[in-house]
Order: sequence, then structure tokens, then C-alpha cells
Amino acid sequence: MWSSVFIVFAKEVRDNARDRRSLLVALVYPLLGPILLGLLLSAAVGMATAQPGQKLVLAVGGMENSPEMAEFLDRNDVVVVPAPVDPRAAVRASTVETVLIIPPGFSERFHSGQTALVTVIFNSSRLPGLIAVNQAKQLIGDFNREVLERRMSERGIDRSLLQPLSIKNVNVASGKQLAGLLLLMVPPLFIFNLFMGGVYLAMDTTSGERERGSLEPLLINPVARWGVMLGKYLAALFYTAVAVAAQLIAFRIIFGAVSPPDLGVLSAFNIGMIIGVFLTMLPLMMVAVGVQVIIATITRSYKEAQTYLGLLPLIPAIPGMVLVFAPVQAQGWMMSVPIFSQTLILGQLVRGAPVAFLDVAVSMSSSVMVSALLVIVAARLYERENLIFGN
Amino acid sequence: MIEVNGIRKSFGDLVALDGIDFSAPDGEVTGLIGPNGAGKTTALRILYTIMRPDAGQATIDGFDTVESRQKVQERIGVVPDSRGLYPRLTAREHVRYYGRLHGMNGQGLESRIDDLVDVLEMSEFIDRRARGFSKGQMRKVAMARALVHEPQNYMLDEPTNGLDVTASRAAHRLIRGLRDQGRCILFCSHIMQEVAAISDRIVVISSGRVVAHGTPDELRRQTGTDELEDVFVRLTGGKRIEPHVE
Repeated sequence: MWSSVFIVFAKEVRDNARDRRSLLVALVYPLLGPILLGLLLSAAVGMATAQPGQKLVLAVGGMENSPEMAEFLDRNDVVVVPAPVDPRAAVRASTVETVLIIPPGFSERFHSGQTALVTVIFNSSRLPGLIAVNQAKQLIGDFNREVLERRMSERGIDRSLLQPLSIKNVNVASGKQLAGLLLLMVPPLFIFNLFMGGVYLAMDTTSGERERGSLEPLLINPVARWGVMLGKYLAALFYTAVAVAAQLIAFRIIFGAVSPPDLGVLSAFNIGMIIGVFLTMLPLMMVAVGVQVIIATITRSYKEAQTYLGLLPLIPAIPGMVLVFAPVQAQGWMMSVPIFSQTLILGQLVRGAPVAFLDVAVSMSSSVMVSALLVIVAARLYERENLIFGN
Repeated sequence: MIEVNGIRKSFGDLVALDGIDFSAPDGEVTGLIGPNGAGKTTALRILYTIMRPDAGQATIDGFDTVESRQKVQERIGVVPDSRGLYPRLTAREHVRYYGRLHGMNGQGLESRIDDLVDVLEMSEFIDRRARGFSKGQMRKVAMARALVHEPQNYMLDEPTNGLDVTASRAAHRLIRGLRDQGRCILFCSHIMQEVAAISDRIVVISSGRVVAHGTPDELRRQTGTDELEDVFVRLTGGKRIEPHVE
């Protein structure tokens, strides 16, 4: 009997490996989420590296016009690069975020004690442009104050006279925290992909097979109906597992590429963790495929199955989406709810929070039980006469 | 050997089979004929285990089609009403899949497939994927997967429907060849000439009942007509049997 299950399984895996749509869903779709998150993360990481204490790169035109400014920038750890030939166009095209222009004659006016002019070119329609111009203006402000203080002390005036108020900026919103927020998107993306990976196979092997008229001859072979169902179920589970593994590896590679070592949350995403996550999520994959096979079996046509199963992955992703905006404290009972428990565990993993072994055990065993029920229901459905002929 | 005793089957209010009895012995071709909607396909579906009868019993080589479903399935080769193929598998892979599901494998299975390729003249497309196969090619693949495990009993639902003359004649030759090996063949058709040409025994079904059962000669005697077409018209209550389209 088990050899028949394997024969059906092997046939479905091979058959669908020749189908571009099945491969797309199993191997390409899973990469989209990690790529999108990777892009957002690299932007967040970019903001993190632009924090004070890191070296700022500033394009300056006419640096030779002010040795004082050059000396100041150097002292403040700013890396000065020459301005592009057409600074306005370059900033508009975002090849540089901001350009500081020191005009000829700056030094003469500066040394004669007159107000000297510098120009800052920036593009306010871009967030990185605004960040860069703020940093440039802050530097110029600091330079201004330093010169002012020196000139006043040369004239014997107390500097505090001109500065009744002093502002100390403490920005607690760091790129690291933004990265943490983005990581909360991992659970819903993951769950969506998990419910998507085998969907095409579940449809093709059940309602597709019925519509092609190949189900009737198949079921005349001396194989118990549940055996045929199980072979197809395992094939869909295999493609789901491939999609989940592909996405986990993509997360690993992309997070590894964009996150600097000091983003501690991400460095936890290692090979051991990938295997751990995969095994923890395997029972949920079994649930997902069970639901898919049942829907594909009870719907009257391929089109109808497609309508329901196309929407299906969105529903289990909802808890994860809600948790991004309204996090909850995980409680014991939640771990017995399939989908919800996996969403919570994934959330703990990506946040780097400790995951309790008991929670994982409860989550896995409850999902295994639910999937066993679904498989039994699917096997019963396969015994019905109208399996072959629709309703 | 196929035996049918008092089989009834309804779909909602519609009575498809209203207690039919007949038998199909080994070494003979038994033709099941009747107008469209007479219940031929339903009867075959019960015999090849896809449907359960509401009442009555059918046995294949003595095994009950409901109680011993798997034993029956091992003993039958079927070209059913729906005979779809997998567009992404080759003809050979189709036959191999069914052979394996019947417990065959290795060299035995491969050489059996090669034999079938010769008998059914499939060499031209045996290693091509089924997408785009002609009706005749599809029919040959369906036939090959019904024959691969060399069962004792064959059930063929409209085996030549849609085939050209040459292909139909080849199918008829194949059916007679199986009969000469002592196998039991039950096929259904609404094409009278076909039934007349290859049947040793004819079962006429109309409105879910067996209205006549015997050799072509016996049927002619029963109805007192020489032309088989008239036999059918008389037996099926004036319902017209569709003319042969060859």
C-alpha cells in the first residue's frame, strides 16, 4: 500500500516539476517577500549607519576657498569628497544627497569679519536628502558657533551672553529600531508563503485531475482511495516545504547581506535557526495542505477551487498583520491555536526574544492533531462517488 | 467472468438502472448496447468499482465489486467513459504509472510497455508528452494503460468512439485477439454495426432494464427480424439507435 502512495507521490512531483506555474509558486514567489523586506531593511540600516559617531560623507564644492572649514570638517570626522560638476543636476538625480558650495572670496570676507555665504543644495522630496541636509546644516551651525565663540572670546565677551538657551538633541528612533519594526513583517509574509507554496499542486492533482478526466481511470487502479489522496497530499506538502525552505534561505542570504553585525536581532538568523524554524513550521504546512486538498476536493470545478484557494493564503496572514501594529503578550492557550501559535513563535524568533520549548511543543502537537483530522476528512471525501463527477 | 444480479441505481429521482441481470463469460466478447441515456455507462461504472449499486450485486471472477473492490480492480482493465491524460507526461510515462500502480516494475514492466507499443502502433508518439495528442493517440494511450497489467477481464466504454475506420478496425482486431486468449471482454456502444461486428453475445439495455440478452442470431429469432437495426428499434421501444458514423 505504501509503495502505491509513493508511486502517486513521485508521479505528482515529477508531473508538476514540468509545470512552470508550480515551480514559480514554489521557487520564485517565496523570494519576493524577502527581497522587499531586504530593500526596506537596507534603507533602515543606512539610516542607522548615518547616526552621529559614524563618518559622514559630504560633497563640497570650492573646499580650497576655506581652509578653516576644511580643517573643521576634518576635525569632525567628515569625509569630504569633491562636488560633482553640475551639483544641482546631481542632487536632483540623487547621485549625491546634498552638496555644500563654498564660493570664491569666502576666505576674504571670513577673515575681514563679514558674513560669508555658503550654499547647501538638497532635494526635499527624498527622505535621505532631508537627513543629509540636516546633518550638513548641523555641521555648518556648529562651525558658525565655534567661530562666533572664538571671535567673542578674542573681544573678551562671555559666550553665555549670546546663548541664553542651549538645546541638547537626543534622538531615540534609530535605524536599528526601524529594522526591528520591519522584522515584524516576517511572520505574516512567512505564513502567506506557507499557505501559497502547495496551492497549485493541491488544485492540479484534485480538481484539475477531475476536470481533465484522468481521475476516473486513476481510481480504477487497485489502490485504496485514501492511498491516492495521501500520495497527492504528500506531493503538495513537498512543494510547500520547498517554498518554505526557499524563503527561509532567501531571508538568511538577504538579511546577511544588508544587516551590519551590530544589528543583533538579525545575526540570530543562522543555519541552525533555519532548520529549527522549518521543523517548527512543518505541522502548519501539514494543516495548510490539508485545507487545500479539502477545498480542491469539495469545489465543483477547477475555477471555483482557484477562486477560494487564491484567497486562502491571505486569511492566515491576517493575525500576523494585526500583530505588527498591536503586539500581544503570548499566553499559553494561544500556542494551541494553529496559525496563531506559529505567528507568535516566529515573532519571538525574529525579535530575538526567547522561545519556550513548551510553547513549540504545544504548537507543533496541536497542529499535527488538526492536520491528522484534515487528512481523515480528505480521505473520507475521496470515498464519495461525486469525487469523480463533481456535484 | 462478469456476473450482474439485480443491480439498481438512482440519482435523486432519476432511476438509471432498474434491476439489471446479465453475465459476460470468459472467451467471449459481450456487447452492451442501448440508446443514449439507457444506463450503459452507469452499469459499467458499477462493474469497474467507481460507483456502488443501491441494490443488487456484481461480481468479477467471483469477487464482489463493493466488498472486494481491490481484488476486482486487480482483475480488470478499463477504458472508462472519461479517459483524460496528463498533458505533461509522455505516453510511456502514462502506461508506466498504471503498470506500477498494479505492482509491476523493472524490466518486466518495460518490456510489457514495448510489446504494447508494437501491438497498438504507438512507436511514433510513445516518448512525446501528451499535450496536443490527437484523439486516436489519446485513445491508444488509454487502451495501453488498461492492458498493461494483462488482466483477465476488460471493460471498454465506447472504445472506438471518434476513431477513424483504420483505427477502429485495429481496435476490433485487438479485442478479438484478447477473446481468443480466453479473456472476458465487456464493451458498451451505441453503434449497432460495431456491436454486431465483434460481439459473441449482446445485452440490450433500455431505460435501465435489460430488454434482451443473447447471441445475434438468438436476438434475430426472438424479434423475428433479419436486420439487427430492426432488432434494436423493436427492443428499445422505437427509440432510434444512432447510425454508424464510420
